Amino acid sequence: MDLFANLALGFSIAFTPFNLAMAAAGVILGTLIGALPGVGPVSGIALLLPLTFGMPPTSGIIMLAALYAGSMYGGTITSVLINTPGESASVVTCIDGHQMALRGRAGPALGIAAIGSFVAGTVGVVLLMGMSPLLARWALSFGPPETFALMLLGLTTVTGLTGDNALKGYISMVLGLMLSMVGFDLISGDARYTAGINEMLDGVDFLPVAIGLFGLGEVLAGAERAVRMEILSARYGLRDVLPSLADWARSRWAIARGTVLGFVIGVLPGAGPTIATFLAYSLEKKVSKHPEEFGRGAIEGVAAPESANNAASAGAMVPMLTLGIPGSATTAIMMGGLMMWGLRPGPLLFEKNPDFVWGLIASLYIANVMLLVLNIGFIPVFVRALRIPYSILMALIVVFCITGAYSQNNKLWDVGQMLVFGVVGYGMKKLDYSPAALVLALVLGPLAERALRQALIISDSGMLILFQRPISAVLTTLAIVAVAVPVVRAFHQAVAGRGPNMAPTPPGAR
Amino acid sequence: MRRADRAGAVLLLLFGVWFAAVALRNYTYWSATGPGAGFFPFWLGVAMAALAALLLVRAAREADAGPAWVPRGRGVARFLGVLGASVAFVALMPWVGMALGTVLFLVFILRLLEGHAWPAVIGVAVGTAAVNWAVFAWWLRVPFPAGVLGF
Repeated sequence: MDLFANLALGFSIAFTPFNLAMAAAGVILGTLIGALPGVGPVSGIALLLPLTFGMPPTSGIIMLAALYAGSMYGGTITSVLINTPGESASVVTCIDGHQMALRGRAGPALGIAAIGSFVAGTVGVVLLMGMSPLLARWALSFGPPETFALMLLGLTTVTGLTGDNALKGYISMVLGLMLSMVGFDLISGDARYTAGINEMLDGVDFLPVAIGLFGLGEVLAGAERAVRMEILSARYGLRDVLPSLADWARSRWAIARGTVLGFVIGVLPGAGPTIATFLAYSLEKKVSKHPEEFGRGAIEGVAAPESANNAASAGAMVPMLTLGIPGSATTAIMMGGLMMWGLRPGPLLFEKNPDFVWGLIASLYIANVMLLVLNIGFIPVFVRALRIPYSILMALIVVFCITGAYSQNNKLWDVGQMLVFGVVGYGMKKLDYSPAALVLALVLGPLAERALRQALIISDSGMLILFQRPISAVLTTLAIVAVAVPVVRAFHQAVAGRGPNMAPTPPGAR
Repeated sequence: MRRADRAGAVLLLLFGVWFAAVALRNYTYWSATGPGAGFFPFWLGVAMAALAALLLVRAAREADAGPAWVPRGRGVARFLGVLGASVAFVALMPWVGMALGTVLFLVFILRLLEGHAWPAVIGVAVGTAAVNWAVFAWWLRVPFPAGVLGF
């Protein structure tokens, strides 16, 4: 069968020593980044992207994808032991995970999270593998109107769902699209919005913006508040970590439900791992026979969301690889990386770069095995890393931001851009704007503009072409609904002069 | 935050109008073959102006001032310290060089701003500079500015 031949090709690529080493580096760094509060998968991937320029793209994506998976595992450690989420997809885990730790059951909490993550991560890759080629084949028939409608939907749903404030989310998105207009217009050759500065002819570079917003920006926002953390001590021998039979009996269906739910949510544009964890937790509470135990250390309350976030992180790769539409900030930065390596994400990727796609898929299987071992056997190592003071960590991140921004083109101009966007990111974070929407728009902007202009060139009825073809009509309608709902609500509130926030979503949703 | 929203909304509104105006004045909105270089930016400017106007209306009608967002006390010192040191690091890099700059930057942050003990400060600073150099300059062959001392 085709699938097995492809998978065999993938494993032959994944098992080369260098790629194995990159997967190992990715899972270790990912677990660390997930565990350390203040750096999440988005900042982690933005900061490590510069390291991948010296390697083949396949090795680069293997490292980044392993890091993404690892960060989903690592966040649990902090949630359970400190009651502070290591990254946003582990916020829910704090509720029951920390309660378990207070009752002396930190070991089983971390154990079931690692096992659930492994099951969900592995099943997630199976589903990714089965679904992506079909989706890619279907997407091959897309013309410019469908492509534009799809990008519109991706942009609007991500913006509507991330951050606490939909109106400011849309402002951030439009700002990102505006920034993406800077530089040469590929169709007409005009240099747009360059203010006569030569460096601006190439446009606002994606990498310094991403590093500035998610690296320096986060550090500046974090620098204000002193973080003091108390780490619960616990025993992490193999026998302490492995869940008992009773734990397992309670958790297995929670893991199964979390996996399926997480994957579906992950594939949808806009809703990433964080939202998946919230939904998985409330689903579990609803179907449970003893809902009163939730919040007091129910092991299902750890198993379900921790499975969901891993399945979702695998699912989130599907639209990025097959359609070229990232569904979250993390995958937006990965896609920016893909484009910098000279690849074109989208349906043709599977035909033109099979070694890349299948090497990535095979590596994800390997990464999940590595992560299971790491998160069952080496918990104390990561607990020790949590004792690094935030002030040292923050200084190191800044050094890494500066080196990373410099190393793409070896120009101080890029570092300057990074500093500017660091301050912008700080302001956006403080004032509830959405850096994630800005980065996504910056990546998609030029592609969306080209698709729209091509659609209008072939159209004889202007914008109506978007509604004259079935697929693009459905996608465009969905996008309009996604914008209309929060904007209408904002308008209502503006007129009524009530509270400032719309559509309460989990804080810092990614 | 209400005041910041009002000011932000006005700035964004002006920016949107300016963006749309530049698009119309400097670039082609519609050419013989279809939409030109000014088409998409014009509508982006319009969208920004509309969204900013909505934000302005909302902020103007808000009853309470909302939580303060400007840092206070120790937070200001750390924010300005980190930002200032980063800017100085980058601005002086052509003369100081990457390796020495890294050490000085870390010594400033960790010792003067955060008050860590000297042995830890020196260890972290020199260690980071060395690892950074090994990974980027030696492995990835990034030509870092060397500075007047030559490293």
